Amino acid sequence: MSALATQALTLSLGGRRVLDEVTLALAPGRVTALLGPNGAGKSSLLACLAALRRPDSGAAMLGGEDVAALPARERARRIGFLPQQADVHWDVDVRALVTLGRLPWRGRGGAGAADRAAVERALEATATTALAGRPVEQLSGGERARALLARVLAGEPEWLLADEPLASLDPAHQLDVGARLRAVAAAGAGVVLVVHDLNLAARLADAVVLLRAGRVVAAGDTAAVLTPAAIAATYGVAVEVGVTAGGERYIVPMGRA
Amino acid sequence: MGARALLLMLAAPALVSAATPRAPRIVSINPCLDAVLVRVADPAQIASISAYSQDARSSSIPLALARRFPANAGTAEEVVALRPDLVVAGGHVAPATVAALKRLRVPLAQFAVPATVEESVAQVRELAARVGHPARGAAMAARIEAAARTARVTPVPALIFGAGGLVPGAGTLPDDLLTRAGFRNASAAYGLARWDVLPLEHLVAAPPRVLFSVAAAEGGGERAEHHPALRRLAPRLTTMPFPARLMNCGGPTIVEAMALLRGARARLGEGR
Amino acid sequence: MSRATLWLLLALLLAAAGSLAAGKVWVPLDAWTSADPRSIIIVELRLPRTILALTVGAALGVAGAAMQGYLRNPLADPGLFGVSSGAALGAVCALFFGYAAQAWLLPLFALAGAAATMALLALIAGRSASLVVFTLAGMVLTSLTGSLTALAISLAPTPFVASEIVTWLMGALTDRSWDDVWLALPLVALGIAVLARTAPALDALTLGETAARSLGVEPRRLQRAIVLGVALTVGATVASAGVIGFVGLMVPHLVRPLARHRPGATLWPSALAGALLVTVADTLVRLVPSASELRLGIAMSLLGAPFFLYLLLRLRRRLA
Repeated sequence: MSALATQALTLSLGGRRVLDEVTLALAPGRVTALLGPNGAGKSSLLACLAALRRPDSGAAMLGGEDVAALPARERARRIGFLPQQADVHWDVDVRALVTLGRLPWRGRGGAGAADRAAVERALEATATTALAGRPVEQLSGGERARALLARVLAGEPEWLLADEPLASLDPAHQLDVGARLRAVAAAGAGVVLVVHDLNLAARLADAVVLLRAGRVVAAGDTAAVLTPAAIAATYGVAVEVGVTAGGERYIVPMGRA
Repeated sequence: MGARALLLMLAAPALVSAATPRAPRIVSINPCLDAVLVRVADPAQIASISAYSQDARSSSIPLALARRFPANAGTAEEVVALRPDLVVAGGHVAPATVAALKRLRVPLAQFAVPATVEESVAQVRELAARVGHPARGAAMAARIEAAARTARVTPVPALIFGAGGLVPGAGTLPDDLLTRAGFRNASAAYGLARWDVLPLEHLVAAPPRVLFSVAAAEGGGERAEHHPALRRLAPRLTTMPFPARLMNCGGPTIVEAMALLRGARARLGEGR
Repeated sequence: MSRATLWLLLALLLAAAGSLAAGKVWVPLDAWTSADPRSIIIVELRLPRTILALTVGAALGVAGAAMQGYLRNPLADPGLFGVSSGAALGAVCALFFGYAAQAWLLPLFALAGAAATMALLALIAGRSASLVVFTLAGMVLTSLTGSLTALAISLAPTPFVASEIVTWLMGALTDRSWDDVWLALPLVALGIAVLARTAPALDALTLGETAARSLGVEPRRLQRAIVLGVALTVGATVASAGVIGFVGLMVPHLVRPLARHRPGATLWPSALAGALLVTVADTLVRLVPSASELRLGIAMSLLGAPFFLYLLLRLRRRLA
């Protein structure tokens, strides 16, 4: 698996500096969380990593090559992107939805045996096999989120980039989807998530990048980076960090820093 | 086979080469030409006339007469099936139909909308000749010319006011009819072209002496179609009904149109 | 799904046969051989007309399905880009200036109108891949060409020319010939081929543009393909048959359940269903007793209103 990195990535949108000389190295086989307040540039950074936005200067690199310069099909095979908007414009069934994830791999003739097998694996991994024949509009929010995750997984990419994949889920589903994402990383792929919830980040992420106003405040292993000082510097909020009986870290915001 | 049949058979080539060929089979897809056709051709020659001729509102021939002939909707498919020797049509036929007839080698004679009485008379003669009855054509032409003889009276300003305010101007058949009947087409005074819409304001500001109204003819008598403004001009402006079907056809309708117009002029002669 | 396609094909064959047999003139089967002169009607008039009906129906069906998939809007219509009214304006100019006397000039003008509209669309919309910009540009062109067409009608030198223009605009397949088929069929075939290749991209757009791009869809290339395909199919249709609406709007709705709602999978069924619809409508139009043949475009519009009423009632029931 190749490394995903950025080199002095700079991006302005509407006259505003959204990313300012961001240099990062992300390791495969781990879950990395991008954290920061609103407008910090998290989603923009994710978009640049997936070549969905062109930076003004600097570059995002996959295995040393500029992602934007890769042929679209190859890039689509290697980088899977799960956007924040869970748009599904047509009332297709779940299996058809997940099969869309095989588009970068499919030949002219449509889905082949390899594609169908990958779709089955993705359905299993997200526990949506039972839903395969149902139209998407009949699914609940959590089921839909799992189906959309299955779509990304079906492409079996090297890197899975997800923008707030847990945002509108209830706790049970958050745990489920979170577990899937960790499993994907454990299998060797790289996972980068934009999350808002500090606790989720603490639980899911092996590494964390703290962003503020387009700049990297801190980046590295979760335990090392997610400290009250760093959080205060990023969010302007004082927090208390604790550990549950089971060894899980939790973070509680106390007040403005 | 009798001697007479044998004689006919021997004489047949001579008959064919003589001045009277077998009378051609005609299909018409134009209701205006139907009006001429039913009068100059033998009924047996007419394979089909336009379906519009069987509709009272668009027909130029008496319905009873029209119903004696089969009608067509003007498509090449119907025409071809009838295997005519000649198809007569107006100037505006769908391009596809003209092309189809040409391709299928069906002789087509198109007669443009006549702009003057002379043109119409020439068309009558030509159609009669094509149909094989030039004498009947001459007779009809003479009748039309007689009816359209220019009246020797002082021209009175008049206007033909069609549906939606459409006014025929210089270079149209109705204009020629007006002039011959003793009127002067007032359309020029308003600066109108060959066919133009005249806004009611201009009409009310400078009304002609007589208004020939198509709307009045459709409703019959005093209809609410008449704008109140026109009704208030009543003493100065005389409105008379003028059926729309007399406007553009030419041919025998000229006789009827001229009778109407002359009658109107005569009535004015006194009250000027 | 392929069983439904088979049924469609069967229905299509029956409709085509019906179209050959039906008309104001009844030609018995034994007259179809070339010995009987009435066979001319079949070979030179009905056969090209039937093939043209199939072609036009397929063209409009695919164009409609592609537009709806591309715009993610089930109410999109092939005319949205302005190509059909641009082509119509071209033809109207030919009629206005009296060039239509030459049989091949009218379709040529119509195609020129379609091409010019496409070029203008590219110019106005620029290199933006935004759907809103594109749709707006299409509206600009539709309004412009529509008003110019209305202007031509109002400025027509005689009411007969005006009537001719209005009649042509209402769309018809009457008396079409093999020349019209040779013009339309290759262009439509090319257009359908271009649009067929966009099927995977249209499927990907189900997830929205961002996700589609992440799956390798290139928006500008897709847009070019859609515009080119729609211009070819719709332009050729208008050039040969005038403006025929509603087919591109209705047909994708009808076949969507067959395609299990996947936009890319609606393309071919829409072609078949569109061909079926237009052929049947054209046959019925010939059988209606009227002074002149009922215009096909009118017949389609008459079908459109009840269709939308049905959609509306179905939606109300679903939301209730």
